[in-house]
Parts: sequence; structure tokens; C-alpha cells
Amino acid sequence: MEIKSTDRDDFRRVYDADYHLLVQVIMHIVYNLEIAEDLTQEAFERFYVKNMTFPSEEDARYWLIRVAKNLALNHIRRNKREIEMVEKVKRMPSAAADEKDGASEAIERENREEVRRAIDALPENLRLVIQLKEFSGLDYKSISKVLGISETNVKVRVFRARKKLEEVLRGDERDVY
Amino acid sequence: MCIDAQMLSAYLDGELAEPYRTQVKEHLEHCPACRHHLEDMREIGDRIRSTEYPSQMLDRNKDRILSVLDAKYFQNGRKVGFFRRRLEVSLPSLVTAAAAVVFIFIGSFMFFGTSDEQTGEILPSFAVQAGNGSVRYVSDAASLDNFTLEEILHYLDSKGYNVDISIKGLQPLDTSIPAAESAE
Ligand SMILES: [Zn+2]
Repeated sequence: MEIKSTDRDDFRRVYDADYHLLVQVIMHIVYNLEIAEDLTQEAFERFYVKNMTFPSEEDARYWLIRVAKNLALNHIRRNKREIEMVEKVKRMPSAAADEKDGASEAIERENREEVRRAIDALPENLRLVIQLKEFSGLDYKSISKVLGISETNVKVRVFRARKKLEEVLRGDERDVY
Repeated sequence: MCIDAQMLSAYLDGELAEPYRTQVKEHLEHCPACRHHLEDMREIGDRIRSTEYPSQMLDRNKDRILSVLDAKYFQNGRKVGFFRRRLEVSLPSLVTAAAAVVFIFIGSFMFFGTSDEQTGEILPSFAVQAGNGSVRYVSDAASLDNFTLEEILHYLDSKGYNVDISIKGLQPLDTSIPAAESAE
């Protein structure tokens, strides 16, 4: 079904279907919910302002993910210095946080941090592909449309990302034992 | 001969075309090494997905943002740059005479909200530095002083706040120096 971005019903349908996915994708790039919400709003504003007609809901979704991803990457690049400083403070050991959290929350946070570090260490072209693969539920073909690369390229990058993550995350385990 | 790892990765994603899919499946049935490798890759995927953010967190402002967008683009009498019309004209002339103090009320609370949460909602990049009631200055780059009034208003407007502004003119400071003190 065709989607006209300035049509109120179409806009609502797309918003309803894709809001969650956009915040999720952006969150895994900026790691800050307020900023992720701002950028998601921005993506939908651009969607409206663009005044485009998409052949299908899926095409609208690919467009939105692409815009959201670019907004998030731009945000990171523009604010690199400030983000690093905030990160430094956040990583300072905080006894209060450990006391407040239960053991399972601490483990969960630990896992999140570890996976995040591993993913952050990937080169950007691999990072985006594996994130889209794991978080968006999109198949290779859809990811290729979002990123404007070939399906074969998606397949290769997913594999390479996995291989690197395997090395890093397995390596961590060996360090522990 | 064992299965190429890249093929295994595509198989895991359900993206391997026939006849390869069947061949891989058959190989896996009698090759523990490849089964093990496939399990490893599956585990990596599980771990990555376990860091997914929960819905209730991601969607907390879904409705609010939609109504902001709806009001901005789809409703009649959409409010277009309210401060452009009123404020930009009136502010400079008011400020020229004397120092002016600007009070901004958002909804029913004052600008520097009474909690982190409120402050965060108003200015995220500021609140990022404010933890548990005490403000930690990471750098002086992101204090409110670095936002112009227009930026602050623009931000609040884009968030759909009803902003009430009142401006108070104050007496100019008496900068003349009393004779007795200047002698010291
Ligand atoms: Zn094998």
C-alpha cells in the first residue's frame, strides 16, 4: 500500500509501526534515551517535511531507518568530545549503584557493557550491519536497501562482524578463567 | 570437507538458498565440529540481542511525541514559531534600558525543574551531568549559559511545551564609587 508522508493516517500508521524500531536502532548508536527520542522525533519530522510518496510501508521504513541511523552517526561525530567526557564520569566506579542493584541487574549491566564494548570496537561498516541484523529483525535484502549495499555485501559483513565479536567475546571468557 | 564459516553464518540467518541449505543441514547432522561452530555463532547473536532495550523504556514518550508532531503538522491553527512573532520583536526593546531578568515557566513549574527528571526533560544534555540531586560538572561546556534564550525556547517549543514568559526590568546597577571607599 502506498504511503504518503504528509497524509495524517499514513503518517500515524508508519509512526506506530516504526517508532520503537527507530529508537532501538538509535539507542545502540548514541546510548542515551533522551537523545535517541529527540533524534527519532527529528527523523519523523524529516519524513513529513520530505513530502514523499513511498511505494510501500516497508520502503518508508527503510528510508526512516536510514535517516535515523545517519542522524545518530552525525550526533556522535559532532559531540565526540562531550560524549567522551560524560562516558568517563559514568564509568567511574560507583559504590552506590552497586548497592542499589541486585546481583542479577549487576550481571546484566556487566553483559551489556561487555557486548557494547565489543560492538563499539568493530569498524563502522560492520557495526551497523550486525546491529541492524540483530535488533531490527530485517533480512539481508532489507538491510541492503537500508544501507544501499548489495545483499552479498550484507552477508559478508554480517559474517565478518560475527567473527570479530566471537574473537573478542570468547577472548574475554578466557581471561576470566 | 567442512562447511565454509560464511555459509554457516548465512544458514544461521535462514538466508542460505537451496541446494546449499539442504547440504549444510545434512552435513551438520554428522559433524560435531560444525554444529559446535554454529552454536557459538548463535550464542553471540543471543548475547547481542540480550542487550536490546525493553519496550516500556523505549516507548515511554511515543504518545507524547506523536501528539507533538500531530499538533505541529496536522492540526489546524498549528503554532508556528510563537516566539518569533512575539518575542523577537519585543525582547530587544525591553532589554536595552536596563538589566532584565527573564523568568520562564513551563507548564506549572519553574525552568530549573525541581528534580533531575524535570531538568532532564527540559535539557537532556544538561541533565546527563546531573546525577541523583547533585550536579557534577564534567566540563563547563554544557551549562545553561551556553544556550541562547532562543535556543531554549525553540527546544521547549519543539517538545510541545506551553511556555509562559515574563520579563522584569530592574534598576540599573549603581556603578559610581563612593569617595570614602575609593580612597582605600
Ligand atoms: Zn563439518
